[in-house]
Amino acid sequence: MRLTQGQFSFLPDLSDDEIKLQCDYALQQGWSLAVEFTDDPHPRNIYWEMWGTPMFDLRDPAGALYEVNECRKAHADKYIKVLAFDRNRGFESIRMFFIVNRPKEEPGFDLVRSEGPGRTIHYTLRPYAAEQPAGQRYR
Amino acid sequence: MSALVELVKDSSLVDQVDLAQLYAESDIEATFTEIDRELIGLIPVKTRIREIAALLLIERARRLMGIEAQAPSLHMCFTGNPGTGKTTVARRMAQILHRLGYVRRDHVVNVTRDDLVGQYIGHTAPKTKDVIKKAMGGVLFIDEAYYLYRPENERDYGQEAIEILLQVMEDNRDDLVVILAGYRERMDVFFRSNPGMASRIAHHIDFPDYSAEELHRIAELMAASMHYRFDAEAQAALHEYIGLRMTQPRFANARSIRNALDRARLRQAKRLFENRTAPIGRRALETIAAADIRASRVFQDKNQQRSTEDDNAKAGADGR
Amino acid sequence: MNKPVVTKITDAKRRFQSGVLQYKQMGYWDPDYEPKPTDVLAVFRITPQDGVDPEEAAAAVAGESSTATWTVVWTDRLTDYPNYQAKAYRLDPVPGTPGQYFAYIAYDLDLFEEGSIANLTASIIGNVFGFKPLKALRLEDMRLPVAYLKTFQGPPTGIVVERERLNCYGRPLLGATMKPKLGLSGRNYGRVVIEALTGGLDFTKDDENINSQPFMHWRDRFLYCMEGVNKAVARTGEIKGHYLNVTAATMEDMYERAEFAKQLGSVIIMVDLVIGYTAIQSISKWARRNDMILHLHRAGHSTYTRQKNHGVSFRVIAKWMRMAGVDHIHAGTVVGKLEGDPNVIRGIYDTCRETHVPQNLEHGIFFEQPWASLKKTMPVASGGIHAGQMHQLITYLGEDVVLQFGGGTIGHPMGIQAGATANRVALEAIIKARNEGKDIWREGPQVLANAAKTCTPLRAALDTWKDVTFDYASTDSVDFVPTPVAAV
Repeated sequence: MRLTQGQFSFLPDLSDDEIKLQCDYALQQGWSLAVEFTDDPHPRNIYWEMWGTPMFDLRDPAGALYEVNECRKAHADKYIKVLAFDRNRGFESIRMFFIVNRPKEEPGFDLVRSEGPGRTIHYTLRPYAAEQPAGQRYR
Repeated sequence: MSALVELVKDSSLVDQVDLAQLYAESDIEATFTEIDRELIGLIPVKTRIREIAALLLIERARRLMGIEAQAPSLHMCFTGNPGTGKTTVARRMAQILHRLGYVRRDHVVNVTRDDLVGQYIGHTAPKTKDVIKKAMGGVLFIDEAYYLYRPENERDYGQEAIEILLQVMEDNRDDLVVILAGYRERMDVFFRSNPGMASRIAHHIDFPDYSAEELHRIAELMAASMHYRFDAEAQAALHEYIGLRMTQPRFANARSIRNALDRARLRQAKRLFENRTAPIGRRALETIAAADIRASRVFQDKNQQRSTEDDNAKAGADGR
Repeated sequence: MNKPVVTKITDAKRRFQSGVLQYKQMGYWDPDYEPKPTDVLAVFRITPQDGVDPEEAAAAVAGESSTATWTVVWTDRLTDYPNYQAKAYRLDPVPGTPGQYFAYIAYDLDLFEEGSIANLTASIIGNVFGFKPLKALRLEDMRLPVAYLKTFQGPPTGIVVERERLNCYGRPLLGATMKPKLGLSGRNYGRVVIEALTGGLDFTKDDENINSQPFMHWRDRFLYCMEGVNKAVARTGEIKGHYLNVTAATMEDMYERAEFAKQLGSVIIMVDLVIGYTAIQSISKWARRNDMILHLHRAGHSTYTRQKNHGVSFRVIAKWMRMAGVDHIHAGTVVGKLEGDPNVIRGIYDTCRETHVPQNLEHGIFFEQPWASLKKTMPVASGGIHAGQMHQLITYLGEDVVLQFGGGTIGHPMGIQAGATANRVALEAIIKARNEGKDIWREGPQVLANAAKTCTPLRAALDTWKDVTFDYASTDSVDFVPTPVAAV
């Protein structure tokens, strides 16, 4: 399965040069970039681990790509994403989000159904990977 | 400039290069003109800059022909006393590198040891990397770089910063140019103890002290930019002042001239204010008189050593 | 022949003598009036009957939408009537259209109940549109003062929080309306949902007239849709939703349906404009209390928004809906099958999602409108659009929009999933190209063709629909076009 969170997950994985171009777009808009990683791809897992604080005052995307590659060295078997933060009024939130690294195998999710009253079903998602404790999930 | 970058990015090679055209397209002639305008004298430095620029241009041409494959090392070292124009030239060098297509942007991040080194374990690496990321795409200028190396203190974290810099200078040559700066002798010691650093520096430029005539011209230019002028006697006093000050300790070249000028202005203001009986004209307000200069202590303790511990170069106030 | 100039009567005895006075004499036309920052302002496009003085017509509109009636009444003197009178303070002829005028009217803040769209609309449009001395009348724009805006809840979720909840940033959202509009059973309906969402869409949608009919009871639809939604979430790892239509005959029924949607874990519900302003505000309050995104289908609006000379402009409806509090509103596509002039649409989109809308006559915005930090409504573009138009859609409509491809997904030759994938790949490719600095208006077709090389569904979509366009003359357009300035 392929986790399709993020802006470009339906396209072929971005090359380093393409990542730089996207980061450059964010810098031109005046947004700050950040790198985050996780081994829990559940869609409601909003807070991935931060790879350092967001990079304010960057002038060139090379700095962001440097951090992406450092994160890839340390967490090659995890999902890694790049975020862009916009501090302007009316937004003050994230403006870009794309995945830059994936584990080799993505087993996906187990949909757990529990029957409720009438014909209602309560649904829960469990990532197959989460059967292992954190840090041992993707080999 | 962008045409140049496009040419180089293009994988197809040429078999003939028009150097004049390359040079014109890069527009670095304009940068040379600005350097000439901003810096008085410094002939050896200006010559050196032109030499480096020519070398970079030729390397560009060679790469267009497919001769040169590896990116040249561009890291530099500027040595000389304070106030000789090192920071100014670093900015102009960034511009030249940018216009020749060697760096993507022309910003300069200007740091000293304290911006790179932390106070406790684990503090240094993120601090150094942060500075490097902000400088990427342009030039990192490290002033008094030798302070990074403090072998006498085993708990000093400067070595960590040096290691990170060495790695980035080698692996990310396309992304960053590093310029180290400082006193000549101390840089020599630093390089002897850090051969890795020495081997990565491609270009050394030495910044000689200004001559007395050059300093005089600098003083006149600075004054003119602030709309002041020296009368004839003041010119003579200035000439004497410079001659004396140059021989005294902690002389910071152009910076010392700047400070002297500021104090002269102060004395002029005091003089005019104390004699405020009659209305004065524009001329009086614009003119610095000999008395304003001769009041300096430089004329009194001509042969005395200064006893303050203030680092003249850093504080920029040599108390005269 | 000189007509006597008719002005406001200031002498009280004459003013309140029984009989009929012109509206101008009663004070409803006041060209010296300076609108206060707390006034509600409106601009009407008036077409007076032949022989009717335009100022008198404007004054009549002001009067009949505030305190006046057709004859003098003594009870006026029990009130501070100069305050409650609306004042027509400006009259401009419409460029290029003789016999039509823009009348600007100011209303004191005290005329309106706080936080009530029903009251605002009953006041402004409740009485005046059938008025005989006018051939036609259209409410073009309104300026709501910040003081009044602050009494409204506004959108329960807003664009920023919606994106945070869906964890989706940097691109438009994708949706599809179920097709056929009517007739599918609950189980088959759910099949379309799961296919479309698995293929790559973020939302699927009930159509406006899907409520609870003999062919599909609403509870069954909700159950099957949520099965489809959750399965698609498991397959993709993204948060998705289906706009469950809770429109019903009574408010009580609507609450029941909304509660069930919440119970089943839906992120979003929808209502139709025809439930009325009061119901919309009620369900909006409920949505806020229950963390539900609220989608509004603008069912029925074209009956009164489409003709340029009579009715209410949709930009006013959009304003009212943002105040009443909806998170999504259908607002036009420009290039699709339904009415939409690009400049008019731009003005409407800005009204929905900007924090401050400056005056822009070229986009039909007559008044500067600060939005007092009311959340932003996400415009929805729906109707006859397909993947081959993606570059045009992004250029016209921007990034904060929901693009809905109903037929464009379900009618795909390779199936529904393929249709959804084609749309998603086209969207991501265009956004990526735009970020890289390409001129997507010109290079869009090439970008799409390149993306289609590695995506067969997109290739098929482009081939199937490449010649489809809807080029008809707009019935609604702007009056102010930029005139070229002669070089001096």
